[in-house]
Amino acid sequence: MPLKFNKRLLVVWVVLASFTLAYLWIDHSVDGSLRPNAVVTSSVIVIALIKVRIIFREFMEVRQAPALLCRLTDAWVVLIGVGLFSCYIVGLTLG
Amino acid sequence: MTDLTDKNKRATFVPGQPDMWAFVLFETLVFTAYFGFYLFYRAKSPELFLHGQAQLDLRIGVFNTLVLLLSSWSVARCVQSARVGAFRAALRDVYITAACAAIFLFFKVFEWARLVRNGNGIDSSDFFTYYFFLTGIHFVHLLIGFVVLGVVVYQLRSAARRSQELVETCATYWHTVDFLWVLIFALLYVVR
Repeated sequence: MPLKFNKRLLVVWVVLASFTLAYLWIDHSVDGSLRPNAVVTSSVIVIALIKVRIIFREFMEVRQAPALLCRLTDAWVVLIGVGLFSCYIVGLTLG
Repeated sequence: MTDLTDKNKRATFVPGQPDMWAFVLFETLVFTAYFGFYLFYRAKSPELFLHGQAQLDLRIGVFNTLVLLLSSWSVARCVQSARVGAFRAALRDVYITAACAAIFLFFKVFEWARLVRNGNGIDSSDFFTYYFFLTGIHFVHLLIGFVVLGVVVYQLRSAARRSQELVETCATYWHTVDFLWVLIFALLYVVR
């Protein structure tokens, strides 16, 4: 059976690749200063979480899955975010 | 009205076996715990971790991330091809995925060798302990991924064995390896 090229998957990859390349720009913008930067750290984590959600929704086809799986994976992304930021903030406070 | 409800019911499906989703969610929690410890200690001694991080080559990390995202795209295409019965295209996509994974592994080993040669071993600093632990455990998951891709090839090569559910289950595992790397890459190479 002839298979139609799925443009949506290509667009998803381009978006994920763009987010990845954005890290180069972030790194360039703080280059030379090997100093801790909470804004950079927070932005990088948020971008990574957005990428994870896109992979869940598009590549793993959660978009077409029952609502329970959609909500569960969204909750998991939030859970990862809360876990990472909590540990980071506690570390900063005790540091 | 009934037809529409039936159509909506058919339109939604769980990709692969539910057991694999339980594994994915569990594995994600385990990795989140590793990441949490890493961020906690990193925030406590930022200079030490930044000094270690400066030894990494961000370009290799970006390249490897793009390659792994390519492999995920390829597996997603494989699932869709198999679903409509285009098994030759599906097989081609699995081989592309395996090639991307091999490229990733090659550059990962290359990076490890470069770091060790420059005196940055697993016990040289806390940063490198976490670096080798996280990239090492991800490496093992990727090696298991090769077995998983082998299962997909085995399934697709014979009409008698083909199971769309198994292909989707294997793809779900592969995407998990991909998104775990997305997090590992961000935390080891880019955060400040």
